[in-house]
Amino acid sequence: MNLMNADPPEAAPVDSDEDVVLDPRVQESIGRSLKAHYEDLVTAPIPDRFLALLAQLEATERRLSTEDGANERS
Amino acid sequence: MSAADFKEGLIAEIPNLRAFAASLSGSMQLADDLVQDTLLKAWGNAEKFQPGTSLRAWLFTILRNTYYSLYRKRGREVQDSDGTYADRLATHGNQESHLDLADFRKALAKLPEEQREVLIMVGATGLSYEETAEICGVAIGTIKSRVNRARAKLAELLSIGGVDDLGPDRRITAAVQRAGPETVGS
Repeated sequence: MNLMNADPPEAAPVDSDEDVVLDPRVQESIGRSLKAHYEDLVTAPIPDRFLALLAQLEATERRLSTEDGANERS
Repeated sequence: MSAADFKEGLIAEIPNLRAFAASLSGSMQLADDLVQDTLLKAWGNAEKFQPGTSLRAWLFTILRNTYYSLYRKRGREVQDSDGTYADRLATHGNQESHLDLADFRKALAKLPEEQREVLIMVGATGLSYEETAEICGVAIGTIKSRVNRARAKLAELLSIGGVDDLGPDRRITAAVQRAGPETVGS
């Protein structure tokens, strides 16, 4: 009735330095929550201040390199 | 790498930086300040970034160092005064997640920082154990042990130590049925 029964039993966890060995399903559920938590943050809209900051940094660098170029030519 | 390429790379990493910073500091407000500092430092040290290596890992290293040297104390103060972001963040569309996201975040916030950061890096950001070890400046074995301890602590905080605790959720129930009963009660 269960096609998955042919699978070998769960391999022993490699984390032998820990006393607590979590059920793989508990680990899975924590893993999913972790991803949900992170995904929720990662998909939040980026505040404009960061794009403005980087645009400003880039513009400053461009201006400086243009000035350098002008100084070299003069 | 041209300045324009570097800038595009930084922009692409902003969402990850914010998510990691929020996870680390427990506050969106601090997270954004932390990201801003990180971007400024990254820009000022652009020549130290080696093209071909992971920009994300490099930026996480900067962000993490900035956090521990400047923000850690502030983070505690902010949390004390206006609660953690776990209480304030709007959550949207997380029916997929079997554990309530707000509860999970509260538990996550209770973990020691050294455990929380590695759990996030390894479990959610796509960074490898190796990269995480490098970012934190410790051995891979240490990372593995911190991840294990973090998971065990979360399970304890969320009271999901036993399989039965996961019962009410349909997806988990389905997973249990697929896996068969042989490991239950071991």
